[in-house]
Amino acid sequence: MLNIQEYIESGRLEQFALGELPAAERAAVEAAAASHPAIAAELAAVVAALEGYALAHAVAPPPAMRARVLSNVLAQISTADASTDSGHASTGPTPAIGLRADIDALAHAGATAPTLLGQRPAPLATSSARSPLALAASVALLLSLLGNAYLYNRWHETDTTLVALQGDQTRLASANTVLQREASAAQSQNEMLRDEHVRVVALAGTPAAPQARGRVFFDPSTHRVFIDAKQMPPLPAGKQYQLWALHNGKPVDAGLMPLDATSGLLPMKPIAAAQAFAVTIEPVGGSATPTMPIQAMGTVVM
Amino acid sequence: MSETLPVTLPPAAEAALVQRLRERDETALSEFYDRYSAALYGVILRIVKKEEEAEDVLQEALIKIWNSFAGYDAGKGRLYTWVLNITRNLSIDKIRSRQHRVGNRTDGLDDSYAALTQAAPTTFRPEHIGLREITQQLIPEQREIIDLLYFEGFTQSEAAEQLNLPLGTVKTRARTAIKVLSKIIR
Repeated sequence: MLNIQEYIESGRLEQFALGELPAAERAAVEAAAASHPAIAAELAAVVAALEGYALAHAVAPPPAMRARVLSNVLAQISTADASTDSGHASTGPTPAIGLRADIDALAHAGATAPTLLGQRPAPLATSSARSPLALAASVALLLSLLGNAYLYNRWHETDTTLVALQGDQTRLASANTVLQREASAAQSQNEMLRDEHVRVVALAGTPAAPQARGRVFFDPSTHRVFIDAKQMPPLPAGKQYQLWALHNGKPVDAGLMPLDATSGLLPMKPIAAAQAFAVTIEPVGGSATPTMPIQAMGTVVM
Repeated sequence: MSETLPVTLPPAAEAALVQRLRERDETALSEFYDRYSAALYGVILRIVKKEEEAEDVLQEALIKIWNSFAGYDAGKGRLYTWVLNITRNLSIDKIRSRQHRVGNRTDGLDDSYAALTQAAPTTFRPEHIGLREITQQLIPEQREIIDLLYFEGFTQSEAAEQLNLPLGTVKTRARTAIKVLSKIIR
């Protein structure tokens, strides 16, 4: 059993945070922290304290350093990418190649660049023989290359943003289409329900399926039939509910309820006239005549 | 000391930056530079003490961060913790290799440490309020230990040898110093 207080005071956590432990001991500290919350909390406090101390020393680099460092880094990582993963490089747009070359050239010019920018005086003595014109031209070239690198970055950022926005727009448009379709379906159902001709037929479970409940909406003027399938019991595999209209004592096929029907009004086959509706269980695909027993039934009140 | 904490990104912004770096989005590097360069450069400068070398190390650090980004596990800690470790290690490697070169000509660690402490860091100005607070609250012996361990990359045993103190004393001082820091930072 690990003595937690002793462990905390052993100085091991400080060694861990200062990075002086070999890998195996690092792993042991991580394991101890993972299984003892008190150790984890102490370790986090030690790490945060040292980070705070580091942050207290923050110094902004000279502004001119930004372009130098970023373009050198970009040049190095892109040459590394090009040599290890040429397929990745070729996904970039063609103008990038010229700019890459510029940036590479800039990186190679790195040895002389700081001198020309006046940051490091030492090598100037040897370059005094060069004509001032050439020096000015080099400076102009460097500035132009830095400008290219900067503009390339900006262009790349804008391009990425544009692609993202176009993707968003496509998604919104298709979401909108779906919503419109759903709204128009809901509206037509709503109109049907409010139509005074529509008869609502409550289906009640028979002794074969006492829990079964459903409602049929039947419009004798337009012959439209809908069923609200919410309350039908789950079916065994290979079976499907079929709706029948009973007209003058004879069953007429009113259509199959979709197997995956979960909610809402389901449009069924048009029926010219009916005095009652009934639901039976049939093999998937339906039957020409109903299979007894009837599961649920209701009469049309005229 | 809010102005000394420029890298405390809102978690969502940090996660977004991490995501872009993970997707090898090169434009994320400039954002990374803008947010983290001051925090990293200050540490580098404090360790290597020369501006030209500090620039080289900053550049190496960015390349290393980019190349090994797959190794960053956001579940194990903040981005800053990870990049700070990389940067500090590179900086210490830099002075170690320099000490090694010096050491070939002279007698090694002791002399080069003396040389380092004598060479006044001309570019390093402790003008942050946070740093002033810290220097006021850490007693000199604690600060000496913590700087030796954190900025010179000494192990606790090396520090004990350097300061001619028992290892236990070094450990206690280091712990106390970190406790004091912890209180100031909280």
